Amino acid sequence: MHVLSQTGEAVAAPEERVTTGETTKLGRAIVVTSGKGGVGKTTTTANLGTALAQRGARVALIDADVGLRNLDIVLGLENRVQHHLLDVLEETATIDDALVPDKHSEGLFLLAAAQAREKDEVDTEKMRALVASLRERFDYVIIDSPAGIEKGFKNAVAGAQEAIVVCTPEVSSVRDVDRVVGLLGNRFRPQLVINRVRPQLVKKGTMLSVEDVDAFLRLPLLGVIADEPQIIVTTNRGEPLALQRDGKTAAAYHAIAARVAGEDVPPPQVELPKPTLFQRLFRGGRA
Amino acid sequence: MNLGATLAKTGSRVVLVDADIGLRNLDLVLGLEKRIVFDLVEVVEERCQLRQALIRDKRFESLFLLPASQTRDKDAVSEEQFAAVVDQAAETADYVLVDSPAGIEAGFRNAVAGANEAIVVTTPEVSAIRDADRVIGKLSDRGLPVRLIVNRLRPEMVHSGDMLSVDDVCEVLGVELLGIVPDDEEIIDTTNRGEPLALDDSKRLTAIYQKIVRRLEGELVPFTTFDNGYRQGLFGRLFAGLRAG
Repeated sequence: MHVLSQTGEAVAAPEERVTTGETTKLGRAIVVTSGKGGVGKTTTTANLGTALAQRGARVALIDADVGLRNLDIVLGLENRVQHHLLDVLEETATIDDALVPDKHSEGLFLLAAAQAREKDEVDTEKMRALVASLRERFDYVIIDSPAGIEKGFKNAVAGAQEAIVVCTPEVSSVRDVDRVVGLLGNRFRPQLVINRVRPQLVKKGTMLSVEDVDAFLRLPLLGVIADEPQIIVTTNRGEPLALQRDGKTAAAYHAIAARVAGEDVPPPQVELPKPTLFQRLFRGGRA
Repeated sequence: MNLGATLAKTGSRVVLVDADIGLRNLDLVLGLEKRIVFDLVEVVEERCQLRQALIRDKRFESLFLLPASQTRDKDAVSEEQFAAVVDQAAETADYVLVDSPAGIEAGFRNAVAGANEAIVVTTPEVSAIRDADRVIGKLSDRGLPVRLIVNRLRPEMVHSGDMLSVDDVCEVLGVELLGIVPDDEEIIDTTNRGEPLALDDSKRLTAIYQKIVRRLEGELVPFTTFDNGYRQGLFGRLFAGLRAG
């Protein structure tokens, strides 16, 4: 797969990040976006943030979905949010007051979106400045974009230098990602996460395969996440799956984090599921 | 798409309006993407007539699509202009179904502008329900009657306590239930191919959309409990003589 060398290139440290002695080291600002709603931007953001923090990085997550926030729920922090993004942008709260430390991962912080406000109220320039100031304090600033390509998307993208685009293996989602990549232009070196893959359906030919999606989008592939009931359970509970050390899907998130961090880990693979009891009976026992 | 096709199959004249300007998809899931000549924005800008922009479906005579423009912004159309197009479409159709973009920005406000009823679609996940609650609030502010479709339900997960039940969802949202659609691979397959479920009566979900349509037309149709009615696996099917709604 052509992805690895490109991925390695994409994460090669830009000049300002080189940790040469006392010079200021700026963190990386990454926007997570998709065009289509409901494909897993927030879940990806929460798990990537968790996995990076578990590696010892300092990570700030920004929920840019003003009016429809969710990242607080997925992280289980909804009761701890006191101030939000707009409070900070409008200077009614300091960034230190607004950042909510994560319950589970040290070094992970959330800046929640305002639920009762509108996206039009966000000043794009102030958003850019906020992300820039967070880059001075964190290794990663990950911005969870709202669905669509309207003002909320533009605000989310404003301060970022890199993009992660999330799609499901469905033609409508792939088309939306293609459009978003076009809108991002040449600045963001977008990398792809393919979410909700069902290997059984790919095998049956009813779902696009990773190769199909890759052939259409031609983006560096960051990771492939299977459609697992575990993901629904953990997001409902507010405990990202990446907190777990075992399991294939948790491992896939850790591999994404490693790749984001610049490690040369093997390309994403989706394994076929274990045969069902029925199939095993017919094949006469376990493989 | 599936509602529209099912309505059209029962003889109604249906216009589907894709309000997701810039990220259109309804053409794709209907398999009509290659037939687009004019789009919504061109109708608004009076560069063509509404009837020129409407694409008749390949399979259902009384189903029409008004596609969104792919290369324009949502700001290209105002709420008043959008409402005027929907009104005009409603003059010749029994149903105008407007497919709203995600979110609650200008695209959502446009999509809602010409409507007099709303269907809110949610999945049984905490985050989706919170979003739906916010949207229902916005629709109620505009005085629109709201009904709910719970999508992507996984009965076996509800059973094991890992997913909210339809009752839970309805209790939180407090709106009338219009339908329950299980998470079924048929959806992925048929939307990828651009074939509405109404084409094939042997599909599991076809009957479910038929029930939703009957409720939409005012009939009282009982809900099937999925507890032991709907399983995708062979074992589930063997043990429960299927058919759900």
